[in-house]
Amino acid sequence: MIRETLIAALQSAIGPEYVLHRPEELMLYEYDGSALDQAMPDVVVLPGSTAEVAAAVRVAANMGVPVVARGAGTGLAGGTVPDQGGMVISLARLNRVLTIDPDSRTAVVQPGVVNLDLSLAAAPYGLHFAPDPSSQRSSTIGGNAGSNAGGPHCLKYGVTTNHILAATLVLADGGVVRLGSSATDAPGYDLLGVVVGSEGTLGVITELTVRLTRNAEDVRTFLAVFDDLEAAGACVSAIIAEGIIPAALEMMSGEGIAAVEASVHAGYPPDARAVLLIEIDGLREDLADEAKRIAAICTASGASDLRAATDAAQRARLWAGRKGALAACGRIAPHYHIVDGVVPRSRLPEVLRYSEEVAARYGMKVVNIFHAGDGNLHPLLLFDLRVPGTRERAIAAGEEILKACVAAGGTISGEHGIGIEKRDYMPWLFSAQDLGVFADLRAVFDPAGVMNPGKLLPRVIG
Amino acid sequence: MMDFTLYNQAPARVIAPTTAEELADCLREASTAGSAVVPWGGGTRQLLGGPPARYDVALSMAGLPRVIEYTPADMVISVEAGATLGQVQDVLAANGQWLPWDPPLPRQAMIGGLLASGAGGPLRLGYGSPRDWTLGLRVALADGRLVRSGSRVVKNVAGYDAHKLHIGALGTLGVIAEATFKVAPIPLRRQTLLAAFTSPTAPLEAISQLRQPPYQPISMVILNAVAEAAIPALHPFLPDRSAYLVVAVRFAGTPGAVARQIRAAVAQCVDLGARAIELNEADDVPIWEAIADFTRPMGDLLLRVGAPIGQQREMIRLIEMTTRARGWATARMVIAGVGLAYARWPIAGVPPEALAVALAELRERLATIGGYAVIEALPDASGIDRDTLDIWGPSPESLALMRSLRAAWDPAGILNPGRYVV
Ligand SMILES: Cc1cc2nc3c(=O)[nH]c(=O)nc-3n(C[C@H](O)[C@H](O)[C@H](O)COP(=O)(O)OP(=O)(O)OC[C@H]3O[C@@H](n4cnc5c(N)ncnc54)[C@H](O)[C@@H]3O)c2cc1C
Repeated sequence: MIRETLIAALQSAIGPEYVLHRPEELMLYEYDGSALDQAMPDVVVLPGSTAEVAAAVRVAANMGVPVVARGAGTGLAGGTVPDQGGMVISLARLNRVLTIDPDSRTAVVQPGVVNLDLSLAAAPYGLHFAPDPSSQRSSTIGGNAGSNAGGPHCLKYGVTTNHILAATLVLADGGVVRLGSSATDAPGYDLLGVVVGSEGTLGVITELTVRLTRNAEDVRTFLAVFDDLEAAGACVSAIIAEGIIPAALEMMSGEGIAAVEASVHAGYPPDARAVLLIEIDGLREDLADEAKRIAAICTASGASDLRAATDAAQRARLWAGRKGALAACGRIAPHYHIVDGVVPRSRLPEVLRYSEEVAARYGMKVVNIFHAGDGNLHPLLLFDLRVPGTRERAIAAGEEILKACVAAGGTISGEHGIGIEKRDYMPWLFSAQDLGVFADLRAVFDPAGVMNPGKLLPRVIG
Repeated sequence: MMDFTLYNQAPARVIAPTTAEELADCLREASTAGSAVVPWGGGTRQLLGGPPARYDVALSMAGLPRVIEYTPADMVISVEAGATLGQVQDVLAANGQWLPWDPPLPRQAMIGGLLASGAGGPLRLGYGSPRDWTLGLRVALADGRLVRSGSRVVKNVAGYDAHKLHIGALGTLGVIAEATFKVAPIPLRRQTLLAAFTSPTAPLEAISQLRQPPYQPISMVILNAVAEAAIPALHPFLPDRSAYLVVAVRFAGTPGAVARQIRAAVAQCVDLGARAIELNEADDVPIWEAIADFTRPMGDLLLRVGAPIGQQREMIRLIEMTTRARGWATARMVIAGVGLAYARWPIAGVPPEALAVALAELRERLATIGGYAVIEALPDASGIDRDTLDIWGPSPESLALMRSLRAAWDPAGILNPGRYVV
């Protein structure tokens, strides 16, 4: 009954065409990119403007109905899964790049713009949007902001929060507020800084002003091959310790290499124990110097081979391997759970080894495909969910690995977010007081608690 | 003994906690007693912000100067808020690393105060702001809660980035106790080019060209003749000091890359009619310390002006228009490619109302290009009634949210009352 009232009110607020409520329509919105969470929304709306987003939020908020913002739904922590039911707001129709200002090197975009599309739109000006999650062909700028997404090149260029200058936010009461400024250091609290990465719990972003980054003069890409996993990890630590910040420093281990090779034909040696994808960019002279130093470190770390991409096509193939890696691992097992932890870079070798031990103990295959230069591990646990008990074992294995990351001085998420999956791990990192302060912050934006309720913070604080 | 007098107000007490816990306890007690607290680092930026509405306690951070943890191989450092930036840079430099952050008076200014006051310098162009380098903070809230956000690794999305709120908040949301930064390798070489122009428009053209490929300057400033005169370190390089506009450009990287950029930049500036002076590597660090020093409080009204980068030219024009009409000789430094400028307005012989009118006029003009102006420093001795001068300008659109945030974390309103936007 309440649901009927809600649907009717939404239909009159934004038009019946963009209010989805039949089960077969809602099914598409049950999931995000993770295999572990699933829940049905009561209704899905597809507003076409900030005003319509505000109108829809107002309707839901008045009825105390949860509001869950959704970009492309590629999130990996259950952030868009409406586990308390309610209204999913898809930003898919807000998908226009509004302006590109090559002089300021900024763009104004709607949240539903696909990450890669923004870089393509900026390309004629020699610019791009630096955050490049591996999901960049489908994930959206709004979702990237919601999760503070990272990506391979964030090692040198910083994550999403470093590239958002301003945003329009629809608040829980349907109010609209502008946060941040295109003017550097404008006075006022950095509210934008907490909204980015807030996983839709503080409001719905309906427009963003983002920074664009100049394309580098030159780029060089290398593949370093290792017969030993820890040696590859030690090589990463050594490159960072040398004071070299590559544009990207990615690692892939074990069976994943063969799987990627079989599906993408990227030129990875299928029998390698681990490979590093190393990219440096900048001015030619700097690259020549860095390339020499990196080659020396790779050799000293025991790399069995170091190959350089000789042209753009080869480089693109090496990257296709990396960006297609998750999909390729479907060849190994039908389902996966991607763990997202971070450790200090000097601790990589031991935690890598430990993640394999844990997987073995739980009888699961594991492939590590990750942003090694940042210390951001992604052990990919591979399994078949049709085998009873698998889901629980995958969660337990992931939990052990994340505990080890915390013990090593790291964190439980480098980029995928907390969402549903990791909310109850937050007390490993934060005291009840710390969490209380997060709760205060949330209450400032959303006193009634309707924005993506239950996400990001533990269900019980203290 | 440090003097904690502020705008002719002296605190009843000075407290200098030596642990974060003590710091939190001080604040809890002050909240209970309703005593107004002014957190005090090196005191280099206390002239930013208005006079405190009340001032009972000076909370000196000098008892919290320690480096907590530094693993050079991870390029991450955690320090107490009372460490000076200079002290931190020394520790890092011993390992070939630095925090690419160059506000004035680094030997005096403390980390907590620099973060709280959102201090920056010309390196901003190449390396971004301290916000980009701060991985996490430990903060004592007014009610005595001692809390963390962020992490000690270079990438983290667990929890809200609450630490960002304290950067630039002038201590009104809490007192920073500890900070964790990622750091950078010191570039193999840093070198600077000075270009002296007589044409008023050529420097703008020069900086616009120097933002294009292949150039990757890490700093770029334009100084007008008055500013140049105020920076004696420049004078040996610019012997005949006629009415110059000076562009200083700094490059970093391998010797080859730096040399190529300097060579091309010299040619470019000469083409535009400049006299170009290539500095020795040894002159590089001292020159930039001197340039950064230009933005410290001196005997005049220091304004910080910001606008979108694409509006830089217009921003400069509006600043000049406002003062030229009044015949004021104002020193001006533009942090080019960043959209920031500092202007020093004279106060001797200028009635405060005239300053207020000029500032209002400038703000009105800046509003048309999305810019703003803030008073960064107004000397105590000026005797100007601060009610005539609006320090921060028009309120941000999200003021209501900011107010409720402040009310949540400082319900008794004891932290720097009356000094900030909120
Ligand atoms: C194959 C694959 C590879 C991936 N690689 C990476 C990677 O390299 N790096 C990385 O960081 N992530 C990666 N991810 C995870 C995911 O792609 C990112 O989290 C991405 O940023 C999500 O974008 P989205 O548009 O799909 O957002 P969604 O999944 O729809 O939403 C993500 C979160 O943001 C919130 N949100 C969405 N839109 C808004 C809005 N307009 N306003 C407020 N909140 C909003 C949602 O409520 C949710 O909590 C990968 C995922 C997959 C499937």
